[in-house]
Amino acid sequence: MDGGARMTVAHYLNQFFAGLGGEEHAGQEPVRLDGPTGPGRGLAAAGLSVDVTLVCGDDRFGEHEDASLATLLGWLDELRPDVLVCGPSFGSGRYGYACGVLAREAGRRGIPVVAAMTPDSPGVIAAEGAAYVVPTGSSVAAMRETLPVVASLASRLAAGDAIGAPEDEGYLPRGLRRNVLSDRSGAARAIDMLLAKLAGDVRTEVVPTADRVPPPPALADASDATVALVTEAGCVPQGNPDRLPSRHANVWLRYPLDGVDSLTADGYGTVHAGFDTTAANADPNRLVPLDAARRLEAEGSIGRLHDAFYTTSGVDTPVATAATFGREIAEELISSGVQAVILTGT
Amino acid sequence: MPSTLADLEIATFAIDEIVEGTQTGRSDRRLSVSLPQLAVGAGHPALAEATVEVVRPGDPVRITNVLDAVLPSVKAEDPAGTFPGVLGPLAHAGRGRTNRLDGVAVLSVCNWEASGHAEAGTFPDAFVDMAGPGAGLSPYGGTVNMVLRFRPSEGAPVAEADRAIRIETLRVARDLAAITLGDDPDGIAPVRLPQPGESDSSLPAVAVILQVASEGPLLDTLLYGEPLGGLVPTLLDPREVVDGALTNGAYDWAGVRNHTATYQRATLVRELLAGHGDRLRFAGLILALGYLDTARQKQRSAMLSARLAEQLGADGVVCTTFSSGNSHTDTMLTVRACERLGIRATALVCETNGGLTDHVPEADCLVSTGNEDELVEPWTPGRIVGSDGPGRAGERVPTWSYLGACVQTGDERWTAAPA
Repeated sequence: MDGGARMTVAHYLNQFFAGLGGEEHAGQEPVRLDGPTGPGRGLAAAGLSVDVTLVCGDDRFGEHEDASLATLLGWLDELRPDVLVCGPSFGSGRYGYACGVLAREAGRRGIPVVAAMTPDSPGVIAAEGAAYVVPTGSSVAAMRETLPVVASLASRLAAGDAIGAPEDEGYLPRGLRRNVLSDRSGAARAIDMLLAKLAGDVRTEVVPTADRVPPPPALADASDATVALVTEAGCVPQGNPDRLPSRHANVWLRYPLDGVDSLTADGYGTVHAGFDTTAANADPNRLVPLDAARRLEAEGSIGRLHDAFYTTSGVDTPVATAATFGREIAEELISSGVQAVILTGT
Repeated sequence: MPSTLADLEIATFAIDEIVEGTQTGRSDRRLSVSLPQLAVGAGHPALAEATVEVVRPGDPVRITNVLDAVLPSVKAEDPAGTFPGVLGPLAHAGRGRTNRLDGVAVLSVCNWEASGHAEAGTFPDAFVDMAGPGAGLSPYGGTVNMVLRFRPSEGAPVAEADRAIRIETLRVARDLAAITLGDDPDGIAPVRLPQPGESDSSLPAVAVILQVASEGPLLDTLLYGEPLGGLVPTLLDPREVVDGALTNGAYDWAGVRNHTATYQRATLVRELLAGHGDRLRFAGLILALGYLDTARQKQRSAMLSARLAEQLGADGVVCTTFSSGNSHTDTMLTVRACERLGIRATALVCETNGGLTDHVPEADCLVSTGNEDELVEPWTPGRIVGSDGPGRAGERVPTWSYLGACVQTGDERWTAAPA
């Protein structure tokens, strides 16, 4: 540890590892303890001095996730630790899940997090790449070999040091892709890989995400459905009042359709940088088919048109950003009671 | 087989310093350049101003609005014939000796938005950092750069201004290299095209599909000075590529921009030639467009490229990619079309934070040229060259801002790894 400002270390445990009781105490409400407890002492022995231990019962977290999380995050906001350690939770499903969720939320608040659990723990998925997860065996017998790895990662994260590759540092890949210099050019690697492929050994440096979305079942009765219009065609009110970027958009926007029956060229246009926009600007209904949707609504083919349309410009948008937009828009549409979407792309 | 007169050879001259002087000349690894003699920008009505500045690795400088990078080169036996179709008369490139400077690049810079030739926000950032956390991303963070900053004349047609900039940039590249004429090079690399049937036919035959794009002024790739828009896939002698027949006039995404130096270096071709007769047979190079507008155009181009590869007798192809997003679809369709003809394919692609814009199951052998969306830590340069604006000083900057960082031609060593 360096001789600079003292770092603050927080540690999350379930009721059992905090010594507050076994399964009969799994309903334990969140509690905050000073100093290290249980495995926290092992962390101290490995060079990481725990200042505060946060505890929650496994059932309590599972059954009252929002409230438990709010309490725990409130303490973290107050403490502003330099690093948070969750677990190790080994093969425990409920404990692992709680560690993963807390790790994710703390990570998104900018707190470096190290957790430890089995690679198939639900906590790994719950963490969504926001934490360094050290893989462990399924039983507490793995404690001795796990704690030094956790302590080392946590100390260096707290000090702001760079962390190396997963296989070198002993954590699970977080789904992030970091630029590194190969010792050989892309050309040399391509030729080697092609010759290997020709010899029957197929290798790749890029594994596309397996994120294929199965189509949902068709609407049982569209005449009863609320339908929303969503587009990545960059359609905005004239003058682009909210400054939707033409490319690499970092936002999606919502514009009201109350009392609007058609998108006129005077009122709307596109800022999309990825296609010749002349025809679209002459009739913005071809970006967002409001005219046709209003007709369907009037004749009863669809129940009701949602009272706003959603827009962004899909040009060189990172996949992760686009996925976030999709999730956010979908959540809003679901909470607004929308059952179907007409998504217009370019 | 000894090199014949018809073959191309690249004679390299290592340079590690360029200084302004009253006389133009070379002393060992140091070039002295008289800027008045160079007269950059003179005689082009479409250009209002051109300034020249040398920046070096380690300088606290961020170069912005970078258009192109050119390796200084000159035809040793016929200097006036360098960059045929642009500077020299139309004649085949790729024959005889070319002198090339190593360690030096000519960078053209222009702020099209400031001169009123493009709307604000049209062009994404295009940086070269000579120091700081981004210095290693662009290959030109490590070269001595002669930066030519152009200001187009007000009201000059954009295509005219761009043409003048491209001519002047190539001319300076030629004239810098011409300082070496008559001198002994540090090294000579033959670029010899194999003759049919000269090597073991049991070796796998490998072709290259070089993807370029040409969408109009400021977005064009040029062959012998002419834009390639409308091109159907064609065979091209790779020696012509190495020797300046292909030049860049496309100024979109800097990190994945095929700039002129990537064609001149042609690392993929040179690696294939190095392996020719030993572990493979080099079957040839196909030039094809990416960034095509419609699904039908993309499918047609992929189909025709694959058929050319088949006619070359290729067992395998390496597909390169121009820019990202849209063109990843062109690459994927080309991979698929080749595989359907029984030609095994690999492709070079950059990643976008772990994602690909498009993917086909046949693309099971991909080379990653890096994650273009990774953010680079903030840096405040001592000086910005190429803009009067703040140049994102102190901001986190995406990797795609750095010229050539993730270029998908195979010339660079960046790749992406899990973290």
